[in-house]
Amino acid sequence: MHIDSNTYLGHWPFAPLPSYTAGKFASHLTDHGIQQALVSPLNAVFLPDPMPANRKMFTAVKPTPALIPVPIINPTLGTWQDQIDECLHLAPIRAVKILPNYHNYRLTHRQFEPFMETLATNKLKLILNVRLNDERTQYFALNLKGVPQTDIAKFLKHYPTSHPLLTGIFRPELKQLASQCENFSADISFCEWRNTLVDLLTVLPPQRLLLGTCSPLLSTRGQVDKLNLAGIPKKSKTLIGSTNAKRFFHL
Amino acid sequence: MRIFDIHTHPILMGSGAKPEEIKQLYTEGKALGIVGMNSLGDVSFYGHCPDAGQCAKINDGNGHLQRLFPDFFTSFCHLNPTLGERVVMKEAERCVTNFNSKGIKLEKTNNASASCMKHIAKAAREFNLPVLQHTWTVHGIAGRRVPRSIQSDPTDTATFARRHPEVKVIMAHLTGFGFRGIAEVKHLPNVSIDTSAGYPEEGLIEYAVEQLGADRVYYGSDLPIREQSVTIGRILGARITPKDRQKILYDNAAILLGLN
Repeated sequence: MHIDSNTYLGHWPFAPLPSYTAGKFASHLTDHGIQQALVSPLNAVFLPDPMPANRKMFTAVKPTPALIPVPIINPTLGTWQDQIDECLHLAPIRAVKILPNYHNYRLTHRQFEPFMETLATNKLKLILNVRLNDERTQYFALNLKGVPQTDIAKFLKHYPTSHPLLTGIFRPELKQLASQCENFSADISFCEWRNTLVDLLTVLPPQRLLLGTCSPLLSTRGQVDKLNLAGIPKKSKTLIGSTNAKRFFHL
Repeated sequence: MRIFDIHTHPILMGSGAKPEEIKQLYTEGKALGIVGMNSLGDVSFYGHCPDAGQCAKINDGNGHLQRLFPDFFTSFCHLNPTLGERVVMKEAERCVTNFNSKGIKLEKTNNASASCMKHIAKAAREFNLPVLQHTWTVHGIAGRRVPRSIQSDPTDTATFARRHPEVKVIMAHLTGFGFRGIAEVKHLPNVSIDTSAGYPEEGLIEYAVEQLGADRVYYGSDLPIREQSVTIGRILGARITPKDRQKILYDNAAILLGLN
């Protein structure tokens, strides 16, 4: 059984997606061989303050232990410390997710210094989401580009002791980044080419790749099959499918 | 479950033509249940506007695949309508005669609403070939922009289909033209779509089946740009009936291409 490092719960206004409750979403994931999933609130993507969406998500997933809540934090808001404190109070969180492009800030923002210190102090992992959909196909009312790969490289070099998980990164971006930095892991949700994982393992060790489906925005079955049917050693599949997530998130 | 992939580029940018590479592709495809692939050629190798000789080389690449695995590969011939009627008709005839081409593939050479497309319609009628048109949403996207002069929005592909109702059109790249593209061609019975390209965005397969009917949806991957396990998985995981799934993955292509 797999662990999915990149899922969402909530409303996405640009596609007629199934409206999942936490329980139904967990069942859907189980049907595709996913036993546990790190889940973040989609509604936080479009809220100026993500906390109302985080609170709803904590409540929603509480009866569903297969869904591990990952709140979305905006480190550039004056209340970022309050956001983290409240999340720590509400649930035993293991990571926080940031969406720089959706929340309109750069990774060079001055508040990242204390933000990164706070994450380290609280032993919280950082998930840096690069994109939620392909810029070439997104709805015209959502005219956004992914977080620039050059910004991510600078960020990783500026915080050499950190080791964030990058979600939603494209395959060419990931390969380019892999040649520049080692202090990151990445999910495979937006990496795709013929024999994707065979290709990625030429530049990254299997210990730094995690299964992420970006469900329910992308097809869970398609994303899981990318791993299940990959022509890579079984040991690597296990690492990518679950072992790395267990280690990364201390599950 | 048998699967036929109507949209592949086994040879891309000059790579993939060696017999051992083709055999590997064949073996990998078979392992996924793919019983046949339709090759659309190395359509980007010579840039946006290949000349007559370059079109012929692209189509010869398809012939190369078919010679090695005749029961596995079919092909569509790549034509450049901007070269004029004589060149279009001559190459179409050559491909039908030499490679038993099953259709016409159009890439980003010109906009599908351009007047030169009348040559394509003529070839399609004369040789009874469907036309597979590369299509991608142009309006308002933040990502890579391709000039409208060569990039066909679904409205452009619909314009071509409307002008030539006797021509069967396959609008390629479901994720690329999206919900708006499906709506654009709903009332054009001569237009079908393929599921190739783009990430496996949820909801699109279901919407296509709901609006067009499963009879008008073909499975395609855009290999090697996409992963076939993912492109098949999105169909297997879609909330549609098993019968519709079978139509998309194999039956529709079998009827169109006379596979049986």
